[in-house]
Amino acid sequence: MIQIEKLTKTYTTKHGTVTGVDNVSLDIGKGEIFGIVGYSGAGKSSLIRCINLLERPTSGSVIVDGKDLTKLNGNQLRKARLKIGMIFQHFYLISQKTVYDNIAFALRAAGTPPKIISARVEELLEMVGLSDKRDVYPAQLSGGQKQRVGIARALANNPAVLLCDEATSALDPNTTLSILRLLKDINRKLNITIVLITHEMNVVKEICDRMAVMQEGCVIEEGQVYDIFADPQKDLTKEFISSVVSFNVPEHLLKEFTGTLVKVLFKGGVAGEGVISDTLQNYPIKGNFLHGAIEYIQERPLGVFIMELKGTSSAVMDALKYMESRSAIVEVIPSGH
Amino acid sequence: MGIEWGRIIELWPEIQTAFFQTLTMIGISLSVALIVGLPLGILLFITDRGLFLENRPVNSVVGFVVNIVRSIPFIILLVALIPLTKFITGTTIGPIAASVSLSVAAIPFFARIVETSLREIDKGVIEAAIAVGATPWMIIKDVLLPEAKASIIQGVTLTIISLVAYSAMAGVVGGGGIGDLAIRFGYYRYDNTIMIVTVVILIVLVQLIQQAGDYTAKAIDKR
Repeated sequence: MIQIEKLTKTYTTKHGTVTGVDNVSLDIGKGEIFGIVGYSGAGKSSLIRCINLLERPTSGSVIVDGKDLTKLNGNQLRKARLKIGMIFQHFYLISQKTVYDNIAFALRAAGTPPKIISARVEELLEMVGLSDKRDVYPAQLSGGQKQRVGIARALANNPAVLLCDEATSALDPNTTLSILRLLKDINRKLNITIVLITHEMNVVKEICDRMAVMQEGCVIEEGQVYDIFADPQKDLTKEFISSVVSFNVPEHLLKEFTGTLVKVLFKGGVAGEGVISDTLQNYPIKGNFLHGAIEYIQERPLGVFIMELKGTSSAVMDALKYMESRSAIVEVIPSGH
Repeated sequence: MGIEWGRIIELWPEIQTAFFQTLTMIGISLSVALIVGLPLGILLFITDRGLFLENRPVNSVVGFVVNIVRSIPFIILLVALIPLTKFITGTTIGPIAASVSLSVAAIPFFARIVETSLREIDKGVIEAAIAVGATPWMIIKDVLLPEAKASIIQGVTLTIISLVAYSAMAGVVGGGGIGDLAIRFGYYRYDNTIMIVTVVILIVLVQLIQQAGDYTAKAIDKR
């Protein structure tokens, strides 16, 4: 649905040239929810703004629905944008127009016949759950409600793509969750491709199928959200993941254990207690749970247990091999002594 | 220095005429300023750097012309435009003739005010409209003007009040009006009564305009 090819965006400032996005290529499939995470200044905002050409890439191409947007003229680009919705951190509604008129504005941009506009706005308001706010001005709405209007406006012309620029970053955790559910819902019902950028890993964990991590303008890691959570490669990725799921035992406690400390990770299934109890029954070892959690990512469980195994070293080795054979990922944690 | 009430009654017809002359001058020049200055202000804004109809040459030329007219003292403009006034109105005296110079001064003044009002709009709102696929005309009509409406109304108030002050100078070219009355009777003839009455009329006029402007700006703002 969206192919970003070797996209680079540089900015000329008083202090020289700054690279916002550095040779990024991404391929985002139809109906996918794709998350881009990174700290502020990582270039994710520039990147998403290049997708609908709010910012023109310095080089590279952006192909949305088969059309290379960088090659379109002004009017063609305007028409292409009708099919690319966008929502923003600060909503950016027209403050002097009612909810109805804000949404109708998008429909009029597409040249929708006036007769159809009213019915379509009602339909959109119902979809975002704001039917009772039709004639209210944005100032009278809460942040979450404003974002719902933003979503209705973005979806007005049945876009194939929805871009979310830190769409939940100005909202409280509960509202964030309700907006994310709405986005997921829309994604399923309309099979719309969603690209979102965020610095909040829980947003990605909640709704994204695939994700990319950005640092200094580059994509440093990319893949299925579940796989990245299960097995992050880069330090920055680990840092982001630890902000939402932490499987660590406090350092000073590690020193107190005499057995072999292992971190056992189960992907999918009903995360593997069966494997552990079988292991403990079949091998002459004792096991203590120090830490355990099952996280549900994309509704698939990801289980992590930290255990202390006691027994002869050969028995422990055999037990570890057994667990690995049962498709657990086992990692021995160096103990403090 | 005292007020002779008899003198007010005696000169009342003259005061009335002057008052309507002032209103005529302000009415005409304000209308011209709105009709020409508003589009000019929008043009200055949307052709500026980073905006949706960015056009450096147009922006520079229009900005330069606006600055030139604004830098000429009004009294000089008034005299310099006598030929133009004669060409347009066929005469060089009276409130209609004076309205020509007033209009020429008010257009760039109001254009800059409109431009400043538009600058106060959050760029994000304009960007959101671009992202929606709106045409430049739609952005002007449905985003820029509604969002800057309250601020532009304040600008209209400011323009009217400046015109009240400028119109006092119209007497130099025989434009008439309250200010002219104040100068002719109050200043040249040491007629304190007329001086005070005209100044009071001007104060009341300015106060009313300001209050009406503030009220309207507040009433229409939905923020």
